[in-house]
Amino acid sequence: MRRLLSSETRAANPVGGLRSRLFAASMLLFVGLFTLCWVALLAADVSYTNSRAFVEVLTAPETRAALWLSLWTSALSVVIGLVFAVPMGYALSRYRFPGHALVDSIVDLPILLPPLIVGLSLLVFFRTGVGQFIEGTGLRFVFQRRGIVLCQFLVSASFGIRAMKLCFDGIDVRLEHVAMTLGATRAGAFWRVALPLARRGIVAGGILIWTRAFGLFGPLMIFVGSVRKKTEVLPTMIYLEQSVGRLEVALAVALLMVALATVALVGVRLLIARER
Amino acid sequence: MIRVDGLSYSVGGFTLRDLSLHVRPGEYFVLLGPSGAGKTVFLECLCGLNPIQNGRISIAGRDVTRLEPRHRGIGYLPQDYALFPHLTVRANIRFGLRYQDHAPEAVDRQVDEVMKLAGVAHLADRLPQRLSGGEKQRVALARAAAIRPRVMLLDEPVSAVDEEARDRLCRQLKELHASTQATTLHVCHNFAEMLAVADRVAVIHQGQIVQAGTPQEVLQRPKNLLVARFVQAGNLLSGQAEADGPWLRLVSSGGITFRTPRSCAEPPQGEVAFMIRPENVHLFKLQPEFAPPGMPPGTTTLEGAVREIRDFGDAVRVAVACGPATELSVSLGKKEFKAAAVSPGDRVLLAVAPEDVHVLENA
Repeated sequence: MRRLLSSETRAANPVGGLRSRLFAASMLLFVGLFTLCWVALLAADVSYTNSRAFVEVLTAPETRAALWLSLWTSALSVVIGLVFAVPMGYALSRYRFPGHALVDSIVDLPILLPPLIVGLSLLVFFRTGVGQFIEGTGLRFVFQRRGIVLCQFLVSASFGIRAMKLCFDGIDVRLEHVAMTLGATRAGAFWRVALPLARRGIVAGGILIWTRAFGLFGPLMIFVGSVRKKTEVLPTMIYLEQSVGRLEVALAVALLMVALATVALVGVRLLIARER
Repeated sequence: MIRVDGLSYSVGGFTLRDLSLHVRPGEYFVLLGPSGAGKTVFLECLCGLNPIQNGRISIAGRDVTRLEPRHRGIGYLPQDYALFPHLTVRANIRFGLRYQDHAPEAVDRQVDEVMKLAGVAHLADRLPQRLSGGEKQRVALARAAAIRPRVMLLDEPVSAVDEEARDRLCRQLKELHASTQATTLHVCHNFAEMLAVADRVAVIHQGQIVQAGTPQEVLQRPKNLLVARFVQAGNLLSGQAEADGPWLRLVSSGGITFRTPRSCAEPPQGEVAFMIRPENVHLFKLQPEFAPPGMPPGTTTLEGAVREIRDFGDAVRVAVACGPATELSVSLGKKEFKAAAVSPGDRVLLAVAPEDVHVLENA
């Protein structure tokens, strides 16, 4: 666990008396309480479900299809999200342009608003002339797997953009300036200095996009529905299972998602720690 | 080599106003000024990092005002060095060479040469985070010098290191300058640092060049009170000026009369500020058998009592009270101080030659 803590965030522990220890204990109390909440919830889930439900979930072809669909759509959303997040984060950090504040606010909209609105807006958009035209070209989204990626991207990319902007804000612009005096173009300074230094920010942005995309539910139910082996992903599967009264199966799927997310997040953090 | 004419640039509430400067080929030029004077902003204008609003910048006879930083032929060492943290020392120094048409072997050879010259060859595989302040400075200098620029622009290159390392690094800067022959513009706020490296110096204040000249000119003949304070002139006095034959008579507010040669047809009249450098004040201990030495015409002599003695290691500063409202500071070398054998409370005679009294212009 110690390895997971970066040197920047690890607190120094100077010599302290009783008051220092009480202060540390009061801070750690909240860490404990929060962790306890989640352990209690997961324990309740485990106690409510049973091994039969787990076996069913792990062996059913429907689950495997939903799992696979969840994994590849969320992975693709990460790629597309980062393709937008990196240049947008850089532009918002380095350039001042007319409408900068407006764009900055628009980026925050999907973070603030209920994701359901994205699903509704997409459904409405694809009924307009432009939307109908796009669908007419054969590039169909409504009730299609492509629609899952579109929903996930629109909801989760903002988290990546915000992370990338903060990351580039933290990189001293003088490094790029020096690169330019040494012969690099502005683009060269970006590729050879800013981007390599933003590596950790890209990983952090990718994690944020993935976690949001992987767990997305509301807009998918509206925009692509939940058709077994076609557009059903793990979150919509949980909803459908509990709606037909199979709560233990729904909980088994939920625990599968928790396990996958934990493995992925810890894995990435270990990779970052090893790189350091 | 560097010629700046009428440069103007505004950023936030700060403005560089109609700034002109000429640095000769091969010269080591220091731009000296307090924090916030506009030194870094000016250097960034020369680099092309700040687009100037008015004026012209030429380097090696070429107008570079509208050229991108990479086409200006400069080596830039920013404050705090800005080494690329993700690259090793070797890769940092190599960075600029990939943009030049050299064969890979030639690049390697050049990197090795520069690293050796800067004394950082043993650090080649280290990352910048693992370097001391002095090592970072040398690596940043090597990185800037590796591209063989015509002009080196150094922004506070030794301000982030301790006193002992500062002297050593200043010597290395001069050595590098001698070996590369690159015209160098070095900005700093430290007077001793300027004296250690400068061929010529300009003093900048609030975005304007106040005075330019050799270090001794600026030191001995600061243009106005502002420069005098900045170069630690020591004895700054105010008083009434009046023409007196070949002299300008200066009566200080403490009632002491000094003389200085009249240097212009219309000398200043009325209230003026003037200065006497502490090292130019002669001090004699008054003893029973003391016979005053011969003084040049116009010399002011005045008696006083030693009030305080401060030892600065290589020199001693003696404060002498010459009346209720006048105190003069005298700087003596260690040997002079020993020969003078003065202690606090001793009566002393001070002598100030007329050519050592310098009248300051109104700021």
